[in-house]
Amino acid sequence: MTTTQARQSSARRPVPGRTIRLRILRCDGPGKPSRWETFSIKVESGANIISCLQQVAANPVTADGRATTPVVWDSGCLEEVCGACTMVINGKVRQSCSCLVDEYAPGEGDQITLEPMSKFPVVRDLWVDRSRLFHALRRVKAWVPIDGTYHLGHGPRESPDAQATRYVLSECMSCGCCLEACPQYNVEPDASAWDTSFIGAHAISQARLFNMHPTGRQLAGERLEALAGPGGVNDCGNAQNCVKVCPKHIPLTESIAAIGRQSTVHAIASWFARG
Amino acid sequence: MTTQDSQAAAPRGSFLDRHYFLLRRLHSLTGIVPIGVFLVVHLLTNSSILWGGVAERHHAGGGMTDAGVAYFVREVRWINEQVPHLLLIETTLWVSILFHSVLGVYYATTGRSNTDRYRYQGNWRYRLQRISGYVGVAFILYHVGTLRWGWTFLVPGGTEWSYPFAASTLAAALRGSMDGITVGGVAVSLFYFAAVGLLVFHFANGLWTAAITWGLTVSVSAQKRWGYACAVLGAGLLAMGWGSVIGYVMLDPKRARVVEMSLDPGHQTGAAEKASLEGRREAGVARESEGM
Repeated sequence: MTTTQARQSSARRPVPGRTIRLRILRCDGPGKPSRWETFSIKVESGANIISCLQQVAANPVTADGRATTPVVWDSGCLEEVCGACTMVINGKVRQSCSCLVDEYAPGEGDQITLEPMSKFPVVRDLWVDRSRLFHALRRVKAWVPIDGTYHLGHGPRESPDAQATRYVLSECMSCGCCLEACPQYNVEPDASAWDTSFIGAHAISQARLFNMHPTGRQLAGERLEALAGPGGVNDCGNAQNCVKVCPKHIPLTESIAAIGRQSTVHAIASWFARG
Repeated sequence: MTTQDSQAAAPRGSFLDRHYFLLRRLHSLTGIVPIGVFLVVHLLTNSSILWGGVAERHHAGGGMTDAGVAYFVREVRWINEQVPHLLLIETTLWVSILFHSVLGVYYATTGRSNTDRYRYQGNWRYRLQRISGYVGVAFILYHVGTLRWGWTFLVPGGTEWSYPFAASTLAAALRGSMDGITVGGVAVSLFYFAAVGLLVFHFANGLWTAAITWGLTVSVSAQKRWGYACAVLGAGLLAMGWGSVIGYVMLDPKRARVVEMSLDPGHQTGAAEKASLEGRREAGVARESEGM
């Protein structure tokens, strides 16, 4: 028996044509109070959380018959590569597009709880503002410097080993799961604190990705300097939740250790060499 | 704020901000050297109440317990009378513990535990590392305050620890009196048992995370291997630590006092110590000249 078959046989068989409950933490806007609302949804075959939310949008009436506003959520690709629809489902962070209702609520009357991510300011309902996450990528210069006035030609050759390592790191979609699960990463609505509050596993991993790139390496020193200060790699508390919740299975804890190693070498080398 | 602004702002800021990396790494380092090294030596000395009897078995007639007491008290006397630069060692330890505690508590306040939602083993260790830090600070203060600085008002029964009578006064301080175990003694003993366990965990887990912080263990498998090594070390230290606490709680202070009184008193006073050292040195010189 393959593992897939084993998993299917051990899971509860989904009841066709059942009605489930969606319990959603709602909020009308930034600074407004939150409230819970529950909706009854008739589940179609192969439904995911997004298709259930579409049903709520089409008929915004709660389970106890009160008319309400449609629930707002963010989404993009609907195939777990953009990260926009990330939310907290039954207490754990993940993408809602790849969350299948058959797995989460296979029985009649089963309930699924939806909350917006708690580490980012809520825009409305399940939609959060992830600006700080992208600010963190600017902090570590997560790009390859190729701007200039003339054609630079081909980049240096890269070994297949390095390619294989970098490919996995490049799969990061900036969804925010690693940040939501991190006990060292806490909500910070004040943008002036974003340069000194914990940067998070995703940006540390991206710094490693671009420090490994033959051209991106030119900014390695600047990236390590940015990660040496307050809110940098040293703020990691090694709870290692990030790697557990990463939907792309990126070895985030290896990236943190790798940047730790680069920082150690960089700090010692620059202490002796600095002018 | 643009990226350029943030870079220009980087070297400025408070003392903590300007030396952030150094302070963080010193926090990590002090946990291992000198604090961690001291913990290992300390637990090794304390647990000699259990295994010291094996080393002393040919000399002691009073059984393994008395022999353990004799071994332990000789060790403590040796530390207090013969280890050089004791003041320097103690000062270094105190400065390190103060530094590690103050920064550790400050760093711990920057996190918010979420083990209620993410019940991973690593997440529990993250939380326990911080709890054990808080308890550890309180315990070390109580432990050193009562046994070293004479805060006898915090000791049930008011026993004052003194190094020539290291075993009997320690047992009495843990049990609450020289005679039997009191309610206060049970409370102190339980506090010791819990705090020693938490501090050993704090060291073993800290040793594991330090390898990630410094970048020694990068791959997941290397982190796992080092994790097993730290767990084995932690289990050994836990056996020594808990064994010591149980050993002293079970020890009869009066019987230990008899053993302590029977030991060579020459080490107790500085003058006698000096005289005996002098005597040995002369004897050594004499032997050497005979040999030539």
